[in-house]
Amino acid sequence: MSTTRVPGSSSRGLLVGRVVLVLLGVVVGLYGGYLLLEGQQGEALTSALVWIVGGVVVHDGLVAAVALVVGLLVSRVVPRVARGPLTVGLVVLGTITVVAVPFVGRFGALPDNPTLLPRDYTAGYAGIVALVVLGVVVGVVLRARRARRVRRGHGAGGDEEEAA
Amino acid sequence: MRVAVVKIAPSELVPSPESFTSRLRSPAVAARIGLWLGICFAVCFLTGLLSHYAQALSHPIPFPTSPSWGYRVTQGLHVVTGTAAIPLLLVKLWTVYPKLFERPPLRHAGRLVLSLLERVSIAVLVGAAIFQLVAGLMNSTQWYPWSFSFRSAHYAGAWIAIGALVVHVAVKLPIIRDALGADVESTTHDRASATVDGPVSRRGLLRATWLATGVAVLATAGATVPLLRRVSVLGVRDGDGPQGLPVNRTADAAGIDPAATGDSWVLEVVNGDRSTSLSRADLEAMTQHTESLPIACVEGWSAGATWTGVRMRDLLDLVDAPEDADVGLISLQTRRAFGRTLMQANFARDERTLVALKVDGEDLDLDHGYPARAIAPNRPGVLQTKWLTRLEVQT
Repeated sequence: MSTTRVPGSSSRGLLVGRVVLVLLGVVVGLYGGYLLLEGQQGEALTSALVWIVGGVVVHDGLVAAVALVVGLLVSRVVPRVARGPLTVGLVVLGTITVVAVPFVGRFGALPDNPTLLPRDYTAGYAGIVALVVLGVVVGVVLRARRARRVRRGHGAGGDEEEAA
Repeated sequence: MRVAVVKIAPSELVPSPESFTSRLRSPAVAARIGLWLGICFAVCFLTGLLSHYAQALSHPIPFPTSPSWGYRVTQGLHVVTGTAAIPLLLVKLWTVYPKLFERPPLRHAGRLVLSLLERVSIAVLVGAAIFQLVAGLMNSTQWYPWSFSFRSAHYAGAWIAIGALVVHVAVKLPIIRDALGADVESTTHDRASATVDGPVSRRGLLRATWLATGVAVLATAGATVPLLRRVSVLGVRDGDGPQGLPVNRTADAAGIDPAATGDSWVLEVVNGDRSTSLSRADLEAMTQHTESLPIACVEGWSAGATWTGVRMRDLLDLVDAPEDADVGLISLQTRRAFGRTLMQANFARDERTLVALKVDGEDLDLDHGYPARAIAPNRPGVLQTKWLTRLEVQT
């Protein structure tokens, strides 16, 4: 079932609206493409295109693949009681790690300007990692306790199953 | 026990969408994250346009000088929402990753064309979105390992990303409406294979995503929000520096000859054939004014300070500059951009706009623009020209 094919004037009006939006989006996007071609010449344009295409390649080929393998490991190797908290921890850690790269690497730091990138970002990042690990451990302990309580209350084979 | 895994039949070299079995990878989840991602992109786009306009040489509609903290807020918001979009985009892309492996409908020419067009629009959207967020993040740390001009490429990328986003929303609108109107556990639009419970519920994944977004914001926003300075362990600035104020470009990096800032320094004020030269002592002898105005950098960091000096308009009156004349600000700077900037008449005539000699009661540090710098309300930091040597009334 698809709502696009429901007959009636309101859906036809919606369809017209969507077609107009698509055309608007195409015009806006093409304007951006024109700005890109006009603003960057030769080597600069090549560099911009490499970064635009490179972002997709690195995400789809590397970042998503790593997420896939990690997800597989969580569902195969990790005990059931720990999977939920660990997944939450990995979402936080995985995304903050991407954000942290230019800080921890301090690639933009300048020797003459100590006010740029002034912190110990390695320690800061380690602090975030430690907080996430702590959160995951607390989450696992709470879950394990709850599972044990449920098991005691309802006998073996209660609502919460242990990992097979 | 069933687990969410990728099943790849030996005959398949590449997975198909049906290889992905987790019910977390659902339009019900994608639409909810996409809504917030769309909001972040809209805020980034609008604040970005505003910043671009603020830096333009000509303002057909005058850029307002009030509130003085306006640019600080909008540019801070630009970088904060851009940073928030990074976790949102990563999880959003995770939920729709199976679509990457969809087979084109080769048997129907019409559907094949539509499907290819949609894939092109998605490729453009993903490429532009990742580019905007990654290059923007890197720019906030002043890391430029590329040879394109950041400002113009980021501006062009913004139009490409927003255009592709509008197309994407228009194409997906029925599914988005349905998904947002129904419970998050609804399976109406799910792939047939997306049936295996994940390690968290859909609500759990959404909460984890909001948490990750919050962590990214708290970890970085201290560069512009003073209250978060201690919390933001990944802040690009800590609010400190010479005279308690960060420096964007040092005198050294700008190629300032310290000798040129000594006793021989004068500020020339020129209006056609009328001109006057003022030493620092001459400037100090004029009526002094003190204003609290922020430095708000295009890279997103900002800091407030109290500046003391001579009103720009008092200097312009010395050479009988017309009320509606823009003013060229020329710096001693010999290296890098913005050695010459244009201050529009409404900024030059605002009573808060100063040629500042002191910050927080002390003579300006050389890195803050000694002997004299411009400071005006609601203006990008790159236009707050340091090491002033000449004011040229534009006629």
